[in-house]
Amino acid sequence: MIPFIIRRVLTMIPIILGVILITFLLFNVVGGSPASMALGKNASPQALEEFDEQRGFNKPAVLGWWTSTRALPETRFAEGLTLSAGTNFPIKMLFPLQPDTVYRLRCGISRMAGSVSWIPASGVTAVSPAHDSAELIFRTGAKGTAMPVTLFVQHGTLDVRSLLLSRRMPHWYDSQLVHYFKLLARFDLGTSLATNEKVTTMLKRGIGPSLALTIPIFFGGLVLSVGLALVCAYWRNRWVDRVLVITAVALMSVNYLVWIIFGQFFMAYKLKWFPIWGFEAWSYLLLPVIIGIISGLGSNLRFYRTVLLDELYKDYVRTAYAKGLGPTAVLFKHVLPNALIPIVTNTALALPFLYTGSLLLESFFGVPGLGGLSVNAINSSDVDVVRGVVLVGAILYVVASLLTDLCYAMVDPRVKLK
Amino acid sequence: MWRGVWRELCRRRLIRACLWVIAAFTLVAVYGEVVYRYYQAVDRTPSYQQVNLSERYLPPSFLRHPFESVRQAAGESAFRRVWRGFGNLAYRPWGTDNLGRDVLQRTVQGARIAFLVGVVTSLIAIPIGMILGCVAGYFGRWVDEGIVWLYSTMESIPGLLFILAISMVVGKGLLGVYMGIGLTTWVGLCRLLRAEVMKHRDRSYVMAARSLGYGNGRIIFRHILPNVFHIVIITFSIRFPAAIGTEVFMSFLGIGVQGEPSWGIMIGNARLRLWQGMWWELTAVTVVILAVVLAFNLVGDALRDALDPRSRERES
Repeated sequence: MIPFIIRRVLTMIPIILGVILITFLLFNVVGGSPASMALGKNASPQALEEFDEQRGFNKPAVLGWWTSTRALPETRFAEGLTLSAGTNFPIKMLFPLQPDTVYRLRCGISRMAGSVSWIPASGVTAVSPAHDSAELIFRTGAKGTAMPVTLFVQHGTLDVRSLLLSRRMPHWYDSQLVHYFKLLARFDLGTSLATNEKVTTMLKRGIGPSLALTIPIFFGGLVLSVGLALVCAYWRNRWVDRVLVITAVALMSVNYLVWIIFGQFFMAYKLKWFPIWGFEAWSYLLLPVIIGIISGLGSNLRFYRTVLLDELYKDYVRTAYAKGLGPTAVLFKHVLPNALIPIVTNTALALPFLYTGSLLLESFFGVPGLGGLSVNAINSSDVDVVRGVVLVGAILYVVASLLTDLCYAMVDPRVKLK
Repeated sequence: MWRGVWRELCRRRLIRACLWVIAAFTLVAVYGEVVYRYYQAVDRTPSYQQVNLSERYLPPSFLRHPFESVRQAAGESAFRRVWRGFGNLAYRPWGTDNLGRDVLQRTVQGARIAFLVGVVTSLIAIPIGMILGCVAGYFGRWVDEGIVWLYSTMESIPGLLFILAISMVVGKGLLGVYMGIGLTTWVGLCRLLRAEVMKHRDRSYVMAARSLGYGNGRIIFRHILPNVFHIVIITFSIRFPAAIGTEVFMSFLGIGVQGEPSWGIMIGNARLRLWQGMWWELTAVTVVILAVVLAFNLVGDALRDALDPRSRERES
């Protein structure tokens, strides 16, 4: 048993790492700049840079010494900028560079040969067509610098193609990925862009209302659908079963939104059976819970019915009938316990998803839970909140599947052999 | 085998009706695409986007024109009367919305988008799932471990949130919907195919192919894949309506399609107007979605019954 548990726990680690990597890839690498999302399109480059500095977005993504900076946007001259001998070409920074930091200015040059020198730094760089860039590496003073760096052409003519300024990091491993891992190690999921609140606080606040909504939906739905599935299995291929199956398919096909809109409009607004919106007393949860149960009923009923019918055609059932048991005894004493294995798996693996709440129900009925929170966060591109919810949900799922497997190993000796 | 399956499907009347619904849905979607392309080519505001403030909140035509309006007027020929009645009924037949836009035309455009989403996301998800599943099942060992790691990672992330997060990162719009749904929903197919290919890996026909010196690619895709292809078909028929539902949901939340009449956007719009008594837009969209999704679900079930030998035993 102990080796099995250890093996199973070890398989959990790469999956959690994978989830962390996927969220990182999604939000830090593929995603656009969170700074411009938060501060708007008209924010000054300096403000954007400060925002990135605070949240560590101005580090290299994975690993590396050099990172980009907004002080000089990467420039490309489409038709080239021709400089003849003796010209100064000042390159202006948009805001003062960080003090006491090493910068690298790389100037792409093409076509012609010559030599250049940089001001303030000394040294002459010969440029030949083979060697197509001039580089300047300089360290800023204690106060930082806003003064332009000048490119001086000593002789020959040059065709400047591009300019790129990068900043050198103190360590090659000082990157966003490492920063992200460091934050996670402190259980810090970042701060919301919209409200400037810690994501962990927001999650803690939202989890209660979410569970208050999803737990009744989950268990109500479970009891109802397993019960109806038993009815189907008992009178299989009779009209009760047929009607239930067709109803289930029809229920499945009605869009979730439609359930909510009809429920809210007719049962709450027109008939006044339920309160329409809010989260003040338990009665406010009734309607969303009913809608949640009904909308999930179709697919659950079909799933449990299939599970039960799969068992019903096994050999041991024939044996049970042969020894003279009635249909009720066979169904409840023999079939149901065996069918419980897939049912419990399905249930256990659905449990972690209860935590994210119901995206739609919460935003429609004004339940201040995690579902509504994430919908708002996605609408306002609040990266840290979305990432926090996704990450915690995934980790809960991994843990739940671990626990399920361990329970099986305890109950069913066949599992360990695999 | 496929001809037998087709005959099996056509034998049942309900399934035949469903196949007709799917065919009609496809035709309407193609028609919607043609209309959309036309308006793009002539560079005009499409008629389904045209705001017409003098025709706001027109109910469906069969409510606007009760039977008196098509009753024979004095000195009117029978032909003219039928023509007039037809014209009355065909003018804004499903009514107009709060900006005087034609609900029928918008529903047609919604069908176009739903169809596109179903097809494009399948074109993204099914090849990924098919290739990864076959490769993992056939090669086993570290290839298998890598792919299993990938899909267990993907499936541990809460599904809908993952889709929404991807489309948020890609950017609001159809591309985001395609990417979000397409890149996350290959997991189920991959897992099923992997398990099935594993069973086939050591069968005698594969051994025979191997001993003939065929390459792995040829064995996987020419020999094993046709034998497990029914799984792909069944998955397609299940994920198509699911993708439509997700698109409706995303567009409703404002993360999906932008500036075009998708079903989700129509529901969002109709929901606010329901309180002012405009019920027909919501009803139209609901009924259309119900018909399409129900047809796909029933055909999917019938396909599974026809293709999966296990369930056939159960019937008998």
